[in-house]
Amino acid sequence: MKKIEAIIKPFKLDDVKEGLSSLGVKGLTVSEVKGFGRQRGHKEVYRGAEYQVDFVSKVKIEVVVESDLLSDAVKIILERSRTGQIGDGKIFILPVEDVIRIRTGETGKDAI
Amino acid sequence: MPYSKQRRDPIEDKVITPLLELRQAREKLFSGIREGRGENGFFEKQTSIVDHFFIRSVQESSIGRKLFSARKPFSLIALGGYGRGELCLRSDIDVMVLFPSSLPKEAKMLTEEIILPLWDLGMEVGHCVRSLKDCTRLSLEDFEVFTSLLDARFLCGESPLYLHLRHLIEKKVIPKNAAAFARWLDDRNKVRMETFGDASYLLEPNIKEGIGGLRDYHQILWLSKVFFGLQKPRDLEYSGRLSHSQYASLSDETLFLSRIRNHLHDLSGRKNDRLGFQYQEKIAERFGFEDKESYPAVEQFLGRLHTAMSSIKSLRLSFAASYILRGCDEGSWTHAGKIHDGLRHEGREIGFASVTAILSRPGLLMSLFSHIAECGCRLSMEARRLTTEFHYLANDQYQSDPDNIKSFLEIIKGPYCFSALIQMHETGMLDAFIPEFGRIKDRVQFDAYHIFPVGIHSIHTVKNLKELPNEKNLILLDIMNDVKDHDVLYIAALFHDIGKIGKNHAERGSAIIAAILERWSYDRKKSEDIVFLVRNHLLLVETATRRDLDDEKAVVQCASIVGTVERAKFLYLLTWADSKATGPSAWNSWISNLIQELFLKILHIIEKGELASPDAQARNIAARNFITARSGANLSAEKVSAFFEKMSPRYLLYTRPSLILRHQNMADELDKAKSDGEKMPFRLHAEPDGDIQGCWEVSIIAPDRAGLFSEISGVLALNNINILSASIYTWLDGTAVDIFKVSSPLDSLDPNRTWEKVKLDIKQVFSGRLALDFRLGAKAGGKMLSGHKTPPKPPRVIVENNSSDFFTIIEVFADDRIGLLYLITSTLSSLRLDIRIAKIATKGDQVADVFYVLDLEGQRIEDESRLREIQNALLHRVGSSVQRR
Repeated sequence: MKKIEAIIKPFKLDDVKEGLSSLGVKGLTVSEVKGFGRQRGHKEVYRGAEYQVDFVSKVKIEVVVESDLLSDAVKIILERSRTGQIGDGKIFILPVEDVIRIRTGETGKDAI
Repeated sequence: MPYSKQRRDPIEDKVITPLLELRQAREKLFSGIREGRGENGFFEKQTSIVDHFFIRSVQESSIGRKLFSARKPFSLIALGGYGRGELCLRSDIDVMVLFPSSLPKEAKMLTEEIILPLWDLGMEVGHCVRSLKDCTRLSLEDFEVFTSLLDARFLCGESPLYLHLRHLIEKKVIPKNAAAFARWLDDRNKVRMETFGDASYLLEPNIKEGIGGLRDYHQILWLSKVFFGLQKPRDLEYSGRLSHSQYASLSDETLFLSRIRNHLHDLSGRKNDRLGFQYQEKIAERFGFEDKESYPAVEQFLGRLHTAMSSIKSLRLSFAASYILRGCDEGSWTHAGKIHDGLRHEGREIGFASVTAILSRPGLLMSLFSHIAECGCRLSMEARRLTTEFHYLANDQYQSDPDNIKSFLEIIKGPYCFSALIQMHETGMLDAFIPEFGRIKDRVQFDAYHIFPVGIHSIHTVKNLKELPNEKNLILLDIMNDVKDHDVLYIAALFHDIGKIGKNHAERGSAIIAAILERWSYDRKKSEDIVFLVRNHLLLVETATRRDLDDEKAVVQCASIVGTVERAKFLYLLTWADSKATGPSAWNSWISNLIQELFLKILHIIEKGELASPDAQARNIAARNFITARSGANLSAEKVSAFFEKMSPRYLLYTRPSLILRHQNMADELDKAKSDGEKMPFRLHAEPDGDIQGCWEVSIIAPDRAGLFSEISGVLALNNINILSASIYTWLDGTAVDIFKVSSPLDSLDPNRTWEKVKLDIKQVFSGRLALDFRLGAKAGGKMLSGHKTPPKPPRVIVENNSSDFFTIIEVFADDRIGLLYLITSTLSSLRLDIRIAKIATKGDQVADVFYVLDLEGQRIEDESRLREIQNALLHRVGSSVQRR
């Protein structure tokens, strides 16, 4: 099992969500996050005065999938969240030791 | 004490103990509630069942009998809610065993015998054993005890003992407690507010302790007992403390809350007074609310609940304020205070001079509130009642009367606008004056996102704007100071959700507010702004979360809708105030980041005027119509739309419709070529320019890549074609469109031969068979510049980021010559810059070239040293070639 964490542009969320559901991904976690990468923060100018914006608003998706679904899921996220511009985000892939569904106590792939 | 024979069940032949009887009766009563019957008189029935249990238990208690025969009389007394006879399903039951003086040692056994069995039934029973003296002492020390004794009710035992207690409370305790008690309630309400919040507009209100809950009703009862010696709730009306309609509404609303509480206890299986989300739909269904089109039952139910709670809250507030906290006792309840212009000012309160004043001058109903907005005072109890009772006077004519409208606009302007609007809302005057508001005010959205019903939300939106000077956000403050007409903003804020009676509420609302402003004969230009704001109040949030803010086109579209700088600022302020009044998840630094970025980009685009001007919009529409008309049956409306979707804003603005149509056909061919596997495909089209004799217009389209433009301009130079002007655009799907206007020297006999040569050369360059630098260099020795007469001027280069939020802009001014454009663009290309847009113009023998560039990652060039490098490189290349010549 792998956990995919993807930081994407906010307006791409629906596309990515749809794509993942069409793959059969049953659940995902979404959070509104702020941070910076290559895109850095930026300066905004109002009437000559500069206002520094240090962090850029992004959306973080977290989803746990079985290993055989991983490459498809990553591919879908890549396709759906790419604009080709800087600030498109990043995808992290982490190994997952186990999953437990709290209600039933099921573990492993049954609990995903 | 009479001895009653034990009861026996005739069928099962077993003893029916009081406990068994209680259990059976309760089970019957409770199952009725679940099945939707027997709700009438539930509270009385449960009270009488419990009463019956206590009376029988005492009658049948051996210890009780022993106490009576030992001449140690006692009485059993119901306290608190049980005393008032309003037992909900799982309410606590509080009883007291009262002895005249000393407490006999059997007392503890008595309570154990009677009370402990109830615990086995899972009932929460509080009990105490006290003497008369204990009661007086404790109720002087502890107001909780005091209030429970105010509600005391005799159950069984020695009734004179109970009468004695009543006498002591009335004569000894109340006179000493009254003033401190009123203050204590006031403090407690502050604690309630902090702990439970104002339930009259919370999404998961506490039905009992929240502000507006049953506790407010209890307080009215206690106050009337303490200050006016009233006994029953109904006495409030008989004594004239409340009008008939006020009393009727109070008892209806409290009954409604008690019923909800009952179902809540049933559904949660415990004593629970917080109406959580998970119970709301179920209770709405039990109360018979039904889903209507776009108005779910649960939202109707919550709307009804909030009305009930806010009416109880406001009655308690004004009851306490007018009768009690002011320290006004029976004797001094006469009219006092200063009378001015039909209104009576009394300390911090304001009211009407008399009832007749309202009837002769109904406008007072409005000017009352404009005074509140001006000086921040509050309505007196009487004025509150009178407003509620007389707001029917606000008929159609009243609503369009200039004086009343003036009063309303003064309310909007006033520093205490929020307080005035809230009190207008509570008394129903706001709905009476603006009936459109009445239709939406109690609407609730059943989610955790909207924390207020629509009416309160709207008023809070105004409040946020009024209190904006306290904000820390500097941009907001600056913008607020920069907009002139704050009234426009306040009115738009109050009415932005006026269309929330169905789907598409912003559009619907704009029609409603237009009608209201028409009725008011409100200033036309300001009205237009307000209607615009109501219609578009979701624009920024929707665009910021659903569109790519790095996509200039998306921002330009948004900016074209906004239109003016003033409106952009209004919209930003309204969006902020609206979101903040919606709830904590609607406004946070995450969303504010996005919206601020969008707002500033919109602002800069409008300030530049080019792309979002009315003229630009008109051209856009004209082009669309032209293409739809010309393409006729060949192109479906969706295809035309899809095609326009990928056009860049500047391309649409500067390209004439017939040429757009031509490019569209070329793009189709290009797509075909690509799918046929053609390598490095491009399409070229040349035609004589209609305007200038001897000039040609050449369009070349190809998939965009860095260096493309430079290669094409190089080929043109190689063929001795002089570029007069050029525009290059990149469509959003990555297709580059280069449009050149060129002059001769062409093969004047067969111009097409020249174009075939150009096509061939381009193909050669694209496939790497023709080295442009080398060929042009070979030419340069000859006459790369033709016919230059005046002495050369040094070139000028500007590189800057200020004019656009999306591109770095490079401007080059230099003497014209063939090959110059290639020189510049190949320099840009070697600097790893991607030319997205270019405008090449020639004036006399000078060129002015503007390039909109990004780096290969699609970002503007922010690094100062890189910007300087670009400038120096261009100066060197363009300048040295001048020297060399």
